[in-house]
Amino acid sequence: MNAVTFSDQAMAASAAPTQRKGRLRYHTLIFHATSVLVALLFLAPLVWVVLSSFRSPAESTQPPIPPWPMDGFSISSYDRLENFGQSVLHYSGNSLFVAVGTSMLTIVVSLLAGYGFSRYRFPLKGLAFVLILSTMMIPFQSILTPLFLLLAKMGLQNTLIGLVFIYTTLQLPFSVFMMRNAFDAVPKEIEEAARMDGVKGWRMLVQVMGPLVLPGVVTVGLFAFLNAWNEFLAALVLLTDQSKFTLPVLMTAVQHGRYGSVDWGAVQAGVTLMMIPCMILFLILQRSYIRGLTAGAVK
Amino acid sequence: MNEQVNLQRIQRQAGLCLRRVSKSFGSVEVIRDVDLDIEGGEFVVFVGPSGCGKSTLLRLIAGLEEVTSGDVLIAGKDVTEEDPSDRGIAMVFQTYALYPHMTVAQNMGFGLKVAGRSKTEVEEKVGQAADVLQLNDYLDRRPGQLSGGQRQRVAIGRAIVRDPDVFLFDEPLSNLDAELRVDMRIEIARLHQKLGNTMIYVTHDQTEAMTLADKIVVLRAGRIEQVGSPSTLYDDPDNMFVGGFIGSPKMNFMDGVMRQNGVEVAGVILQTRPITNRPADGTPVHVGIRPEHWRLAEEGKTAVPFKVGFSEFLGGASYLYGTIGEKSCTVNVEREAISERGSVLNLMADADHICLFDQNERRIR
Repeated sequence: MNAVTFSDQAMAASAAPTQRKGRLRYHTLIFHATSVLVALLFLAPLVWVVLSSFRSPAESTQPPIPPWPMDGFSISSYDRLENFGQSVLHYSGNSLFVAVGTSMLTIVVSLLAGYGFSRYRFPLKGLAFVLILSTMMIPFQSILTPLFLLLAKMGLQNTLIGLVFIYTTLQLPFSVFMMRNAFDAVPKEIEEAARMDGVKGWRMLVQVMGPLVLPGVVTVGLFAFLNAWNEFLAALVLLTDQSKFTLPVLMTAVQHGRYGSVDWGAVQAGVTLMMIPCMILFLILQRSYIRGLTAGAVK
Repeated sequence: MNEQVNLQRIQRQAGLCLRRVSKSFGSVEVIRDVDLDIEGGEFVVFVGPSGCGKSTLLRLIAGLEEVTSGDVLIAGKDVTEEDPSDRGIAMVFQTYALYPHMTVAQNMGFGLKVAGRSKTEVEEKVGQAADVLQLNDYLDRRPGQLSGGQRQRVAIGRAIVRDPDVFLFDEPLSNLDAELRVDMRIEIARLHQKLGNTMIYVTHDQTEAMTLADKIVVLRAGRIEQVGSPSTLYDDPDNMFVGGFIGSPKMNFMDGVMRQNGVEVAGVILQTRPITNRPADGTPVHVGIRPEHWRLAEEGKTAVPFKVGFSEFLGGASYLYGTIGEKSCTVNVEREAISERGSVLNLMADADHICLFDQNERRIR
């Protein structure tokens, strides 16, 4: 009996395959709904800032709801930003110098340190590594005064180079940790094969290991850039000359409108401008940021 | 043309010499006082159980580890203090160790590029190696886009391009599946025939060792147990370890006692071949007989009783697992002789194939 039923089914199947519509799964529905909700939560402040930067001067002092411009788009906020002090381009240049300088210096130092910690044996290696990591636990605000004094002694206060050094110092513990892990993930045999091929010293780091730890380098550089670009407190304390201001410090300077009022429009415009390079950089680099290059090196 | 090939061969046949080589990692001695001579053009295989130091010995030859004491000579030149790239060697790793960010061609040519050779020369050499290994269609791919066997061929190609005196292989086939392993094994044998270089090959797979080697070096706990051709090691082991390690299934070991006209096993006297240093009668010894050297005894003759435990039919061969006396024993028999569990077979072994070992597991000859 069973056999007959089965062969009937088989025949039916060969005549026309059963149509499947795909089951509605409630958990996928919930999953997507939650994801959209979370995405909106993250996007909302950004959209808010961008929209309100286009409000007219009169409107920008109004209560912020609704956030979008009610009486037509206006770029007057950007005009006020542009006319503050030297041009906004000048301050962007300052910020760019600090951010690029910080990420370059961080990459170079953490690449060397990470390579050393991963591949060489030296006395007190473990202790040194833990010490470097433990500095992450110290809030840097608490050492801002000594840092300021130190920079002053070195004649680097009120300079962008001094700021680069401070940011790099703050960025290094995490970066060294990242780079050590990146080097650890490269199989030793690849380095040995390179030694067989006669590769030594710098060439090993640049031509063989470098490309393999590139995702780590990109991550470290990106983090350093974003943190330096957005850092406010140290820049505020260390920079006194208005022409040296970075963008976050410029924002506080710009916000003082007439008679102690706050110029929200100019602040929103500045914030919008500040976001753009970060987003461009992230979009360009996200592929190598995510990709693991070691795939296929060994089985 | 032929003359040219021969000439090339003679030039390339660089031998290798290890003189009292030891290696310690901290207080752990991994290689102990190893002396070894390898002639030019020989295919030498290091075998031994895991942890015996065979890979370390290869790495010492390669220069990836530094010897604690002793000398390494390649082509008559002391290279103990030389960098790996200056030793005239090339190595193929178990994990291939290809550069993942380079194409196949770049991988193979990288060593020459580092050495500062011209682009045309690099291309020519890579092209030749690719011809030998049939990699021409893959030169522009990256290692991630290749199968395991192809990756291993690229790794071998990288070694060939360097044109070394000595090839070193560190378990090159263990990451491949069984079928591919057989193919690659044949390919490596063919390569050796074609190039004629000295090759040193580390494996724990004794089939690879037996089929590839001109000379097998059996290692245990950092010491060389025996060096010899596959057939020497198989027929004439120096000690119980080599006897048990070479051959599959393993050599059977039974307890015996020396008697005037042979050796007594399980109450039966077996004839042995003439022994020079014969122990006194009554001395207990170990008797080693390989599974295929047992045969069914003729009716009525004295024979060793073998109690069948279970049987394995492998098509070409059949094995019976059981006991002689207290000791377990494996016997290779004809298909017709496969017997039920619990039945007893009468077995005999030829004098020529019986190996005797003393209580220190050394061979009695």
